[in-house]
Amino acid sequence: MSDHSSPQQSPSFLDLGERLRQRGQLEAALSVAQAGATRYPTFAAVHDLIGRILADQGDDEGARSAWLATLECDATHPGALKGLAFLAFRRRDFGDAERYLEAAAAASPRDTSILTALDRVRSMRPANAPEAINIEDPVAGLLLLDNQGLRLAGGLGSGQDEQMADAAAATAAGAAREAERAARLLGLGAWQHLMIEGDSMRTALLPVAPQAMLLLRRPPTAPVGRLLAFASRAVQAARTWLGNS
Amino acid sequence: MNPERWQRLLDDATAISGVRGAIVVSAEDGLVVHEAAVEGLETSDVAALASVVVRRAESIATASGDSQVRLCTLTAENGTVIAAQGEHGLWLVAVTEPDVELGRLRLMLGVLAPALG
Amino acid sequence: MRVLEPWLAEPLGELVRESSARLALVMTSSGQVVGQHGFTRSLDVMAAAALGAGILATTGELARLVGSSSDFGAVVHHGAQQGVWLAGFDTPRGRWVALVVFGRNSTVGLVRMFFQRFAASVREVAPVPVPDREVLAEGFERELDASLRALFGGG
Repeated sequence: MSDHSSPQQSPSFLDLGERLRQRGQLEAALSVAQAGATRYPTFAAVHDLIGRILADQGDDEGARSAWLATLECDATHPGALKGLAFLAFRRRDFGDAERYLEAAAAASPRDTSILTALDRVRSMRPANAPEAINIEDPVAGLLLLDNQGLRLAGGLGSGQDEQMADAAAATAAGAAREAERAARLLGLGAWQHLMIEGDSMRTALLPVAPQAMLLLRRPPTAPVGRLLAFASRAVQAARTWLGNS
Repeated sequence: MNPERWQRLLDDATAISGVRGAIVVSAEDGLVVHEAAVEGLETSDVAALASVVVRRAESIATASGDSQVRLCTLTAENGTVIAAQGEHGLWLVAVTEPDVELGRLRLMLGVLAPALG
Repeated sequence: MRVLEPWLAEPLGELVRESSARLALVMTSSGQVVGQHGFTRSLDVMAAAALGAGILATTGELARLVGSSSDFGAVVHHGAQQGVWLAGFDTPRGRWVALVVFGRNSTVGLVRMFFQRFAASVREVAPVPVPDREVLAEGFERELDASLRALFGGG
């Protein structure tokens, strides 16, 4: 059975579309790229190209959609992550920009341009500038769940689909119960957070209310202290969201 | 298996101010493999409860499509339980006071734990 | 869960809940069942009780043979899908035995921890034993039937 998800070799339409884009012939470039996307809808590179063309045209919303589509095909596509970081930077959302660049750095640790961009974004963020919190944004890496393991809002971040978010919610509820029990039986009082660190992620689980908890997922390069400080603010935002829902 | 080497690991961990005790745990069955006594707690209780938390943390990582868990930290009002993965299902677990130098302890356990096995 | 005496319900319930036990059986050292959780047939209960009491008696004898000053405390069998914990403990009513069957979402360490709490709780809440009364042969079967009905509910 042949695989039509991507072309067997780098297709000429990609080269053509990129050359047209670089020459400023954006409409023509878009036309070529969209034809390629119709033929190969799950080919990450074609969606990335569309993202770059739309960004050049100033259509940030369109570019964002295209790069999110890229990540659905390839969850760690560095071009898409860099593109989304660029859009965030353009709207001066340095928190989002930093998060996308961190993900890109984790996916391409040898790409020094990403590290340079990351340093620049970090230096441009005012020291006390709070990162925006949107509980309902599935790409924000914030997952609100109830104590039965059902997802209430949010998701695990870029590249992680709804099914994964639901699975994570289901397991997180059990983990929260064990964390509460361990802290209680060991005489440590009320549990405050469970931090899980691995090669590909840093995840924090925190209680929000008696019947709800928050799972926060970040790349492994995210500083732990800052992650926890952000998590604390996210808990407050989640409590507000629960109160309003 | 090297009890003398494990004892040195535990001694290094418990030398950090604020650490109440440390143990080597088999996460699969929640049993103590080697221990440096934990003030005020049964090490078998620490092993049993910490191993369940670790296993649940691993379930979250698996469900999220992530790779192995290296470090798991449960922070509570009156202290912390921190577990670092070693080899062959062994974990180095420390119980601490609330004012422990957590940054230093995290780094140290991350360095010490791979020597388990 | 069924118990012969109400005071046993809470400690046994806690043991089952906290250790995520699939099956649990509490009996005297002679195999008389005083509480159970998860069993659906009386035949299984009686068989498990007899086997459990027998295994502990056997390991006690083995302990004596190898020169151990006391019995081994607990016997654990660990399978791929589930494990079995079997241990004796002293109560105001004499030596009792607990059998716990647990699955992959529990561990030996956890079962042991909550078994110890269970044993301590039983020692604390068990009422003062009533004097033994003479059991006549014709009353024995009636009492056994009554016990089994209590353990399995109904009638």
